[in-house]
Amino acid sequence: MKVLLVDDSGTMRTIQKRCLNKLGIEDIVEAEDGRQALEFFECNTFDVILSDWNMPVMDGLTLLKEIRQRDKDIPVIMITTEAERARVVTAIQAGVSDYLVKPFTPDGLKEKIEKWVGATA
Amino acid sequence: MSTAAPVNSNMTTEFINPIISATKTVFETMLGCVPERSGLVLKESMEPRYEVSAVIGITGKVAGTMVLSLSQGAALQVLNGMLGIEADEVNADVCDAIGELTNMIAGQAKSKMEHLNASLSIPNIVSGKNHEIHYPSNVTPICVLFSSDIGPFAIEVGFSSNN
Repeated sequence: MKVLLVDDSGTMRTIQKRCLNKLGIEDIVEAEDGRQALEFFECNTFDVILSDWNMPVMDGLTLLKEIRQRDKDIPVIMITTEAERARVVTAIQAGVSDYLVKPFTPDGLKEKIEKWVGATA
Repeated sequence: MSTAAPVNSNMTTEFINPIISATKTVFETMLGCVPERSGLVLKESMEPRYEVSAVIGITGKVAGTMVLSLSQGAALQVLNGMLGIEADEVNADVCDAIGELTNMIAGQAKSKMEHLNASLSIPNIVSGKNHEIHYPSNVTPICVLFSSDIGPFAIEVGFSSNN
């Protein structure tokens, strides 16, 4: 399984990467912002994308819209502090597959991953 | 220089309680410790309580700033608590961890004040003794003091209405 992990915080990328490693997922490409993620997306094939919302250069919502123009099906899970109903609705309208609010537990992330790409280790 | 704040003011109810609740939840989830509120004061100085500040701007129907103010020792403990990495100075990794912790506190508090339609800035970290944080001129910030396993820290908030 290949995961594109997008977050401007190195701390959050490390936390999420460790969670994914515990699920047996080792093939992880990290991006610091939406633009970098889009570049990786265009020259790789991923099984799932985990993306923050608030990032410099290109935010997660813009990234989501760009991805949906290219791929309607790939699971995109937004992992963000943006928890208000209006924001969630905006993300759903833009085509987000699922939503995980920070702070999250490792079990919370595992549940989302397994829901969209099947059981892991 | 600070004075005791009236704890029954509308401002306290509107802004402070969600921030206290969010701080406890985020600390418990990310650092494994539950901080206790140890005081509430009105700030009359621009100097933060401690030497490391994580600053987030808030815009929407209100405009203002939230600051997580930490001692250097507590700042290093945040990195250790989130990633298990030890640092001996406030480096880029420490700043990133503090910034994300602050982002989560502000984000969770914001979600409980949905009617304000607020947006958060990317957090900035300022460190060093005697640095100053400037709030909107018509705002008297409130400082919430906490004790915790990583040491004492404070959250400062100052908002003004845009209506």
